Amino acid sequence: MKNSSATNGKVAPDLSVKLGTVTFKNPVLVASGTFGYGAEAKQWCDIEQLGGIVTKSVSWKPRMGNPPHRIIETASGMLNSIGLANVGVHTFVKEKLPYLAQFDTKIIANIAASSMEEYRDVLEHIEANAVENLAGYEINISCPNVKDGGLSFGTNVERTEELTTLLRASTDRILMIKLTPNVTSVAPFAQACERAGADAVSLINTLVGMSIDIYTHEPRLNTVTGGLSGPAIKPIALAQVYQARKACGIPVIGMGGIVTAEDAVEFFIAGADMVQVGTANFVYPDAGVRVAEGLADFMRKQKIERVSDLVNSLRVRAELKAAGW
Amino acid sequence: MADLFLSQRSLVTKRRVIAPGLVTLRFQNPRIARETLAGQFVNVLPKVGFGDPMLRRPFSVYWSEGDEAEIIVQAHGRGTGILAETREGEELDVLGPLGKPWMYQSADYETAILLIGGVGVASMPMLTRALELEEISFQTFYGARTASLIARDRLSNLHIATDDGSEGFHGSNVMLLRTFLEKDGIEKPKIFACGPTAMMRAAQSLAAEFGIPCELSLETEMACGIGICQGCPVRNEESIFEQSGRRFRLVCTEGPSFNAKEIVL
Repeated sequence: MKNSSATNGKVAPDLSVKLGTVTFKNPVLVASGTFGYGAEAKQWCDIEQLGGIVTKSVSWKPRMGNPPHRIIETASGMLNSIGLANVGVHTFVKEKLPYLAQFDTKIIANIAASSMEEYRDVLEHIEANAVENLAGYEINISCPNVKDGGLSFGTNVERTEELTTLLRASTDRILMIKLTPNVTSVAPFAQACERAGADAVSLINTLVGMSIDIYTHEPRLNTVTGGLSGPAIKPIALAQVYQARKACGIPVIGMGGIVTAEDAVEFFIAGADMVQVGTANFVYPDAGVRVAEGLADFMRKQKIERVSDLVNSLRVRAELKAAGW
Repeated sequence: MADLFLSQRSLVTKRRVIAPGLVTLRFQNPRIARETLAGQFVNVLPKVGFGDPMLRRPFSVYWSEGDEAEIIVQAHGRGTGILAETREGEELDVLGPLGKPWMYQSADYETAILLIGGVGVASMPMLTRALELEEISFQTFYGARTASLIARDRLSNLHIATDDGSEGFHGSNVMLLRTFLEKDGIEKPKIFACGPTAMMRAAQSLAAEFGIPCELSLETEMACGIGICQGCPVRNEESIFEQSGRRFRLVCTEGPSFNAKEIVL
């Protein structure tokens, strides 16, 4: 985005976005579990060009993760069953968070747990050891690959609301709830988060899927089913972001299959205030930077000054709207 | 950010067919050509840009010379099928070098045994060159289904075993190696093995039986290749788990080669 203000006398687009009291330099975050804790990707990506990093889910104790096979490629996407492998919150605050503090970008700590108390304890432990660029938390209530916790919160509206209320009491930083697409309708979940005081919802997490070896009749993932991500899920993600936006008044962070700036723009138009780039990082570790740069180009060419001019700008014909679409 | 290691489009300058579905691709990439050590790998996109297939495929670097490096590709699925059809003048998108090299500089042996199964040959020409430079003696035991599938370039001191008896020893390369070890014909050996899981397990138990150090270079499903996705775990042997508290290690960043005693296949 260098020299953009000088190019052809055009005004440089303003990519910064505000969420609560926090200003992000651009609306592109890297999604939890697709960027490690920063150190892994540092060699491959100019981290400070990102709007922020959502860190790999962290739980109270370290988790080993699931046995292989953990990943399988599918049509325009992949299934994973990592099983929340992570270093645990004590190592996270001792090693990972101080490391992340060096970067001029925002950090959002993603938390996964198997009980209300564990979610709260992890959040409070991070809160007590916060670094300056820690912007807030993303609460993973939507991991399909662990037996305990995860989805059992994310598929129950009451538990979603109860958990959000509990965590809201423990932090003034951004509290973002990550929703699952594996429900009949995402709308009541987004509304529950809003009622309970969440600052934003992020969606979608992966879709439950499976793949089978037809010669051995065995599932190709160790846990039989796993989470589907990548470009294959983008249309589903867009529809769910659109539904969440219509259902609630808090910001929506959209993700699911974003690999290009054009993908991101679709999410903004559907109603996302910010986006996360996930699986694409596995192909290009600097995918998030590519999306942010591409977004600046797109806005410049389309003469769009602010990201907010794009957000929720879907044009649905009046008669369709009247008919409930 | 000049110090960033971004993936690079790399022009394919030479495609050579070794056998049906088995090709080598030579591509221009000065950094990979100059920096790769024997046993390291690159992660290659079947097509430039995002598409389907989406993920990169990991390949050991097969050879390097000047500004060019080579991989050897066996077509066995959609991604490798597309890669194997890459033509001279087309581009690959390559990330690397990745992973750790073979630990051939360890002091625990005098003769290297290169144990190759099929396309597990991928890292062996580079290892052969490294051993020759270090003046370490070595013997190569190459097992293949049939003689026409043997990629014998740049290998030396070759003992061949084929499943169908079309060349060399009729049987597995591990069986052939056993006959050498039983005759006590190899001075203070260490095994460097790469091949199908069955061969790797056989190498593991042979090494244990004869009390020989053994390193296994693993091939697994892999997405990122740089330690982010956690998709390529290998199970630690129980004593390693007890020492480290870690059930798994990652093939991409902690391997691809491991001490055979420390992992469970």
